[in-house]
Order: sequence, then structure tokens, then C-alpha cells
Amino acid sequence: MASPSPKSPEQSEKNKQYDRQLRLWGDHGQIALEKGHICLINATALGTEILKSIVLPGVGAITIVDDCTVSEEDIGSNFFLETSSKGLNRGSETLRLILELNPAVQGHAVQEPTGQILQENPDFFKSFTVVIATALGEKTIKELSQHLWDINVTFVLGRSVGFLGSFRIQIKEHAIIESHPDNEQPDLRLDVPFPALSQYLDSIDIETLDLKDHGHIPWIVIIYKAVMKWQKIQNDNRWPMSRKEKNEVRDLIREFIRKDENGIPINEENFEEALRAVTTALCPTFLPVKIQDLIYCSAATNLTKESSPFWIMCSALRGFIEAEGKGKLPLRGVLPDMTASTEHYVKLQNIYRAQAAFEAEAVYRKVQEIINQLHCDCISEADVKLFCRHAHNLHLVRGSSIASEYQSGPVASYIARHLEEPDVMMVHYILLRASEMFRSEHSRAPGDWEPEGDIAILKACVSKLLTDVSCPPFPKDDHVHEMCRYGGAEIHSVSAFLGGCIAQEAIKIITKQYKPVNNLFVYDGASTNTATFTF
Amino acid sequence: MIKLFSLKQQKKDEEGTARAGGSQKKATAAQLRITKDLNELNLPKTCSTEFPDQDDLLNFKLIICPDEGFYRGGRFVFSFKVGPNYPHEPPKVKCETAVYHPNIDLEGNVCLNILREDWKPVLTVNSIVYGLQYLFLEPNPEDPLNKEAADELQSNRRLFEQHVQRAMRGGYVGSSYFERCLK
Amino acid sequence: MSSGEVQTAEYLQRRWLNIRKLLERSGPFCHPDFEPSAEILDFTMNSCKILIVGAGGLGCELLKDLALMGFKKIHIIDMDTIELSNLNRQFLFRKNDIGLSKAKCAVEFVNKRVPGCEATAHHCAIQDMDDGFYRQFHIVVCGLDSIVARRWLNGMLASLLQYNDDGSLDQSSVIPLVDGGTEGFKGNARVILPGMSACIECTLDLYPPQITFPLCTIANTPRLPEHCIEYVKVLQWSKENPWGNTIPLDGDDPHHVAWVLEKAQERAMKHGISGVTYRLTQGVLKNIIPAVASTNAVIAAACATEVFKLASSCCVNMNNYMVLNIADGVYTYTFSAERRADCVACSNSTKVMALESDATLQTIYTKLCEDQLFMMKSPGITTIINGRNKTLYMSSIKSIEERTRDNLKKKITDLGLYNGAEILVADVTTPNTITIKLNVIENLDVDMPS
Repeated sequence: MASPSPKSPEQSEKNKQYDRQLRLWGDHGQIALEKGHICLINATALGTEILKSIVLPGVGAITIVDDCTVSEEDIGSNFFLETSSKGLNRGSETLRLILELNPAVQGHAVQEPTGQILQENPDFFKSFTVVIATALGEKTIKELSQHLWDINVTFVLGRSVGFLGSFRIQIKEHAIIESHPDNEQPDLRLDVPFPALSQYLDSIDIETLDLKDHGHIPWIVIIYKAVMKWQKIQNDNRWPMSRKEKNEVRDLIREFIRKDENGIPINEENFEEALRAVTTALCPTFLPVKIQDLIYCSAATNLTKESSPFWIMCSALRGFIEAEGKGKLPLRGVLPDMTASTEHYVKLQNIYRAQAAFEAEAVYRKVQEIINQLHCDCISEADVKLFCRHAHNLHLVRGSSIASEYQSGPVASYIARHLEEPDVMMVHYILLRASEMFRSEHSRAPGDWEPEGDIAILKACVSKLLTDVSCPPFPKDDHVHEMCRYGGAEIHSVSAFLGGCIAQEAIKIITKQYKPVNNLFVYDGASTNTATFTF
Repeated sequence: MIKLFSLKQQKKDEEGTARAGGSQKKATAAQLRITKDLNELNLPKTCSTEFPDQDDLLNFKLIICPDEGFYRGGRFVFSFKVGPNYPHEPPKVKCETAVYHPNIDLEGNVCLNILREDWKPVLTVNSIVYGLQYLFLEPNPEDPLNKEAADELQSNRRLFEQHVQRAMRGGYVGSSYFERCLK
Repeated sequence: MSSGEVQTAEYLQRRWLNIRKLLERSGPFCHPDFEPSAEILDFTMNSCKILIVGAGGLGCELLKDLALMGFKKIHIIDMDTIELSNLNRQFLFRKNDIGLSKAKCAVEFVNKRVPGCEATAHHCAIQDMDDGFYRQFHIVVCGLDSIVARRWLNGMLASLLQYNDDGSLDQSSVIPLVDGGTEGFKGNARVILPGMSACIECTLDLYPPQITFPLCTIANTPRLPEHCIEYVKVLQWSKENPWGNTIPLDGDDPHHVAWVLEKAQERAMKHGISGVTYRLTQGVLKNIIPAVASTNAVIAAACATEVFKLASSCCVNMNNYMVLNIADGVYTYTFSAERRADCVACSNSTKVMALESDATLQTIYTKLCEDQLFMMKSPGITTIINGRNKTLYMSSIKSIEERTRDNLKKKITDLGLYNGAEILVADVTTPNTITIKLNVIENLDVDMPS
């Protein structure tokens, strides 16, 4: 038999290579990623594990800043070094082996010490989307984080010692349109139907449908009809809100179900679904407080020529809500799947889609008005549509500087509260900080040579930190002892765990999709425990 | 509390070293489960099973001979294929006899919820047998696979009954030919 | 003169200083059995044999992680070959490697990169290896995407358990299983001590069932683009057999995918449904699960840490199941999954039946029904002989009963049973099919001195 030859599939090499991740962040996410430029300071095992999971999915470019020469311990824990790398510059060696992972990625190595760059060429950091640093000294942490905060470049600080690790994301402002929530409430407008929806809903009479149609009308219609009947019985146009009222609506739905000749209700899947959907479908349409805060904050109300597209769209969104929207967000236009005939479902879906397009267009017109007034760069209609579709789940992160962790103030009292609880994960954070302090004072890691002798010295560092946050000393020395046992060792699997996490955080920040950690993450591989703190 | 596990004392045999009595192959979880299902199979009097190989419990046939309803007097053969992921996944069931039925298409695909979307590991072969038997007693025009048959059942029961009879005796219904399947 | 006197033994090298600190020093949170010493690294390097199951996204990471955690005797098994779509995460492979064995390629790379690593590749299915193969390992760590394969492996490790005469578990027969799995930004890692803690089969309901659509929806009332694609896959392909009767639909054949796409688009168009794309078609046909480098890195690392703890006792293991989600921040939750007392795989349901060597199957059947230990109603008896299932007797199924009735009269030795052989018995009186080990005693009359 001759082979049929449908037109050959149009799928590029690149689409095939990235197929499994494109299903997570889409082609537009991939384009954003390919424009990203990551700077890594110090190519430790943690550093290269981070780069690995950013280079594989195809970031635009990486730059490694590292002035260290490769030691034997480095080779023992870092996969992107070879025996022959010993004594060579660590940044150049790791860069060479990491770039093998993906020829599409550009790479550079800079052998100057970070401190020197900060002093002599601070603008160096301006060109990066995200700067990531590992194994940084206390002094450099303070200086670098302050500088990156000032020039508004996102900074991620990673730490990995023994079984412990952490990362801290420093980001001034990060707006996410596609936050990809796990379960989204459907946006159905049953309580405030728009004309096309009303017309459709009113055109159906459940009582007179033949049995086949009866079993194939979408639950949206069923619930709407039940509410109409409920309002009629109540002689009140109120929307059923209480549990009791919702149960009354359920009873009315049950009455709709057809009976067979023996009076036994016929099993109709769409009515079963309607009964299950009552709680979500009766949820009234409202403007979430989170979104209200966003559109009325000063960044959205006081636009300038420099305002980002996100704020311009937020401002247009406010304009829409106050006018055409009558207090509501633009319709999402997504119909959840439900048992229905193709005809009913597709018709209803088109009604929602058309209305969503109509409302998004109104927002787009407002965006254009603003752009004309401010004389700023264009925003495409597609971008506005995307923004409107996700308007219910817009997310804004406003971060704090790492420098604030080193000052008394709200962060200090936050730390103190968690230590008093007591939260062992906060204890781990204090220990990571204390060993950095130890290192800056003694030029070696606590327990580097032998653990016992350093316990008292590390304890002194811990005490100093605890005094800074007005906390009593730890009742026991066990965590201090454990940190000295580690002796500053970098354990590959612990770094690999954190490396994967940090890489994904960087990708979230570059693609502006999914919510990143806000803003400190702590990992203890010994107890398999993790925690997130917000400084 | 579970006694703490320690690998320290363990010594491992070299590859291939057989231990006394330990070399007999073990049954898979799917095998153990289907054995249990079949041993407890409680067939209605209208059903029987056929095992082409009595040692292969994973592949067999179910024969249904309805004694009432539209399909009385017919003999319908279903093949069961139990996969290695049983009971996490349902067995694959196909109707091998051509039948004019709203829920069975001409390729032998069967529309029965517990064979697909509503399968649960607590269900057994017995549940499927009862489900299939019920399809012959109460064909369901609401969820059709053979749309023609379903529409007919809803609009003209007499005609539908005639067509079922014709198909079982062997002959054409519309453009489809049915082999004789009367007992 | 031993070589150790001239050059430092590998486990004492400076290269391993990072992990040596954990192994040669004691700490307040160590496993009670832990005695710090340099010999632990010697053990993990030179004695401890690890099997990695799967050389995909998790497997590549695991191999790298374990090689850098001081393991040398690592075996890795995978039947797959490298595809282009693997390269966004399976970092040991390059475009030139497409078509080659994943296991072999991974091993070659890591042995070259990490001096002293002696990884071994097995390019075959896990089912191709027998119990002798699996028994040689101290720890098995598994990075699979298939539930069937996981269940098989779990069953294999459970079958290697040995029990003492008092019914207690012989711990030296326990081969720990560390299992990782990922799906998009979600994943899980767990530690299983077969016979001691919850196994894969105990917690089978933690795996969500695959999404399937009702057949009648696909056939008559499609609403989603997926319904249109499923229609072509489930119903239209076998009707039209576009490449002939013998050619099944192959989601890896771009021509097949293109054909399905075209037909699904036609169907979608007819019903006013939008959204049938090449990517979606391929996703539905191959049941593609999104995958990204980062999630695999995190889960593999969590597994590698647990392998290191198991091998060295330097720290107490995770108890025993961690879930991860990195879609919204980074979230983990660790809990203790519970064993099922009636688990088909790991509960010790093996009972012993003593028989004389001239016993028949009828003897066994009668004992099953009358012996105080069993008291069964209508036992169905099967066994495995030379790797094949054999039905010895089953009364509930008429056709089988007729064909196995004669077995009842046969001597057990004529049926291929022997001392130590196991029979599988199903009966309404037990929740699962149980295993009974035959203890065949030489006929007393023969050996009795007269």
C-alpha cells in the first residue's frame, strides 16, 4: 500500500530540542530566555550547577567572573572541571566545559576579582539580566548587593556549606503577568451576565428540551436556570450566597433531573456536574483586593515616560474598570470543560471568547491613549490581550535589599520573631551568616582544620548576630558544632539541589512567568527540610 | 519504631550467584491480582469465559449470551487483555462480534465508563463483566458510539429492535454487514 | 610493598576533602550507628555497588551526583536511545550522540570526566535482568517515568527479601530503593526500605491515574482539541489504517503525527473547535510530560543525598517521602508514607507448607481447605516454572477447571514442583494472592531403619 503523504510537519530543530520546556513557558517565554544574560560570580560547584540548568534550556549568554585558580577540592566537587584544569583559572575552565552543553549560548569569562570590578568598572554589571553569586565574602556581599540594588539589576546570592544551603533573591520590583496558578477560579459572570450571555441563557428552556438535549446542556445553563427559579420562589433578585441558599439551588437542580417511567431519576452527567459546580459557579464576580491595590498604587496612577508596559497596562485596566467594566476585570474568556454537546459547548465558548476580545479591545484603546499622551514605546495588542486574560492573577513582587539584613530594623525583628518560635530553619540562616562572619575574621571556614577548636569562636560570631537582632543566645551548641563539622565543605549533592532551584528562579525572573521565591530560601539536606522567609 | 537500618554490615554476592530456593521467578503484582480476580469470578448465568491458554491468565475471552432484552439469543465475544500495570490501569476490552449496538462501534470499541475514565483499582474483572452485561440489557442512547443505532433506539424502538434482530441473524443494516451471531 | 605506602590511596586524596569532612568527623545529628573514619569513603568507593535505573533526565544527574559523592561502582541501566528532545535536560548527551544508547553514552562521559569512576552501562530493559543481577547491589536508585517499570523493580527488590524462621525480616537481605520522579515543575523523592517501610505498591494511589476521555465524547460530542486528536488516535486510525493493516500508530514517526494532525484539524474544523496544533497532537499521542533541567537536578540531588546517607550512615535518612513544587516559589513537604499491612509486594505473606515427597496436588488442595493454618474455601493455585506462569488448579473457572482437573492426581514432582518451590494461592479468605513455600520432607518410610 502506498504511503499517504500529508504535508511534512513544520517543526524546527530548536522546537524539537526545547519541546519539553516549551510546554511550560511557551514560545514567548523561550524568546525572553534567549534574550537573557546571566552573570555568575565564582564558579563553585553551586555556581556551575546553577549555570548548567540555565544553559541547557538556552539562555542567551553567560558571563563568569572568577579570579580563583582550580584546586583539587574544586575538581572533586565540581563536574565542570577536569584533572587537567588544576592550577588554571576556574572561570575559564568551567566556562569551556559548560558551553559544551548548548552551542546556542554565548559565554564570557572575566578573571578580575569582583571587588576590583566594583571599584574600577561598576557599570560592568549593568548589562546583565540577573547577577548570581556564590561563596562571596561578607564585605563583597554588602558592597555588591548595594550596588546592584542601586542600578536595579536582580541579584541572587547562593550559599552551600555541608548539608546546609540558602539563596536570597534581591529584586526591587518584579511584575508577573503569567503567574500560572495551579487552580484558577473560572470567570463565568453568571451573577452579572453580559448581553450575549443573557440572550443565550434565556434562549434555552430546560423543561421543554427533549431527553437527549436535556442530557447535553452545559452545567452553566443548568445552574443559571436554577438560580432564576430560586429568585422567583424567593421573589427576590438577590444572588444566593449562604450555604443554605446554595443548598436550595442544589435542590432545584435535582428537581430538573428527568425521571424514568418508574419515577427514578435518570443518570445525567451534566446535572451531576452542575451539582458539583454550584459552589464555584455561584461565587460572585468581584475585583480582587490584590488587583485593586495594584491598579491604584502610585506606579499605576502616576505614569511617566519611563513607566514600564506593565504599569501602563495597569493604568489602562483601571480606566476600563472605572468605566466600561463597571467595577469588573475584563472577562477571561476561558470556558472550563464540561459535559455538553459539541454545539452547545462551542457556542457558549464563542460567546465568552467574543466578549473577552471585546473587553480586551477596550483596554487596548486605553493603552493607546496613554501611549499617545506619554509619547512612549508601543505595546502590541497581543500583549494587552495576554495581560487581560491573566488580569485576575497579576502578581507584583517588591523586594528588599540584602543590605537591610545587616541593619537593625524591621528585618532584624522579623528574624528575632522566627528565632523565638523557635524556627530551626532560621537558626540555619544565622549559622550560614555566622560562618561568613567567621571567614571574614579568620580567613578560613569554621572547622576547616579541626572542628572542636572552632566551636567557641563560631559561637561568638553567632552571639554577635543574635545581639544585633536582640535575641538571647541559642540554648544548645549542637547546630554550631554541626557547622564546624562541615568545615566549609561544599557537598556536591547539596549544591546540585540548590543549583536546580536557583536556576529555575533565574528563569522565572528572565521570562517573567511563574512566581519566584520571595525572598530567602533555606535548605537543610540533613533533615530534608526547606523554608522560605520574606525579609 | 522501625529499627534503624544500616548498610555497614552488608556483604553482597557477586552477580549471578544463586541462592538456594531463591531462583524461582516471582510473580508480578499484576499477575497476583488477576489470579485473585479470576479465582473469585462470579459469572452471571448468561456469561462464560474461554482461556486459549490456561497458563496465561492475562489474556482471555468473555462470552455473553443475553437471555432477555433486544439481544436475547445472541452470542457476543469480548477479548480481555490485562496489562502489566493492572490494576492501576484497566484491562483492554474489545468486542470481537460485530453487533448493532449504540455503545459498541463496528471496530469493536466499547463505550463503558469503567473501561476508561471511571476505572479505579478497586474494581475487578467481575465489575467489568457486570458492566458489559448491563450494556446488553439497557443499551444507553445518551452516550453513543454507534450514533445511527442510538438515534434509532431513541426515535423508533420497533425499527431498532428489527435491526438488532437482522444483524444477529446475519445481514446488512444500512451499509454495514453483520455476521450471524445467534446461538 | 603495598601501593598505599608510595602514593596516597584514592579515598585519602585531597580531591575528596569536602566529603571526607562529613565522613571523618562526628556531629550531633549523626545516625546512632555512625563511627567517623576514613574507611567509610573506602567502602563507598571500593565496595558499595549502586544501581541507577534510568539514564534520562534524572539518571544523568544521578550518575554525575553519585560519582562526585565518592561512589565508583555504579551501574546504570536503560533501554532507550538518545533523542533530540532529551538535550534540554539530559546534559551528558550532545547532538552527535542522537541514536546511541543513553546508558552507554552517560557512562562513557562520566568515567572520562571523573577520574577513577568505574561506571558500567546496561543497554537493556530492567526486565531482562534476573534476581542474581539485582542482588549484587547495595542500593538501587531509580529515576523512571513509568509506573509499570517502578512497580516491577519494587516487586523485584521485595522478592529478594529473606525472612528468618520466626518470620522476622533478615535485614541483610534489604536493598534500599531511592526513587525519584518529576513532572514539569513538580517532583518527588523517597526512600524505601523494602519490607521495612512503605513501598511503591503500598502507596500506588499516590500516582494520579492518566487522564482519559469517555469514548462517546470522543466519538460524538468533542469539545476540546484533545478530543479531536484522541478521536483520530483511538477510532479513526484503526478504521483507515493509512499505512496498511499491520502498521500501528507511532507517535515518534513524524509522518504519522502529521497524518493525525491533519485529520484532527479536519474534525476540529467541522465542529468549530480551535487549538489543534502540532505540539498538542504530539503531546496527546505520546502522552508527553513537560520536563525541564532544573526540576530533574533538584530531585536527583535529593535522591543522591539520601544514597550518600544510606551508604555512610553519616546522617539519618529522610522519612520517607518528599514532594517538591518549584512553580510557585520553591516548596517542599516531607512526610512519612505508611506501609500497607496487606501490600501485595512487601508484606511477608509467604507461608510454609510441609509435604511428603510423594504428595499430589490433591494433598496440597486438601491441606489448603482443611489445615488450621489456611482453612480456605476454593483456592486457585498457580506457580511459576522456568519463568513461565503455570495454572495448577482453579475450580472457579469452568474451562480451566476441566483442563487442570487431572493435575490433582499428579505427584507434585511430576508437576515441576520441588522442595523450596513457591506456589501462589488465591482464595476469598485472604485479601491478596498469597505465596506458599513448599517444604518437601523425604518420605519417612524410606529412611526409617528397620
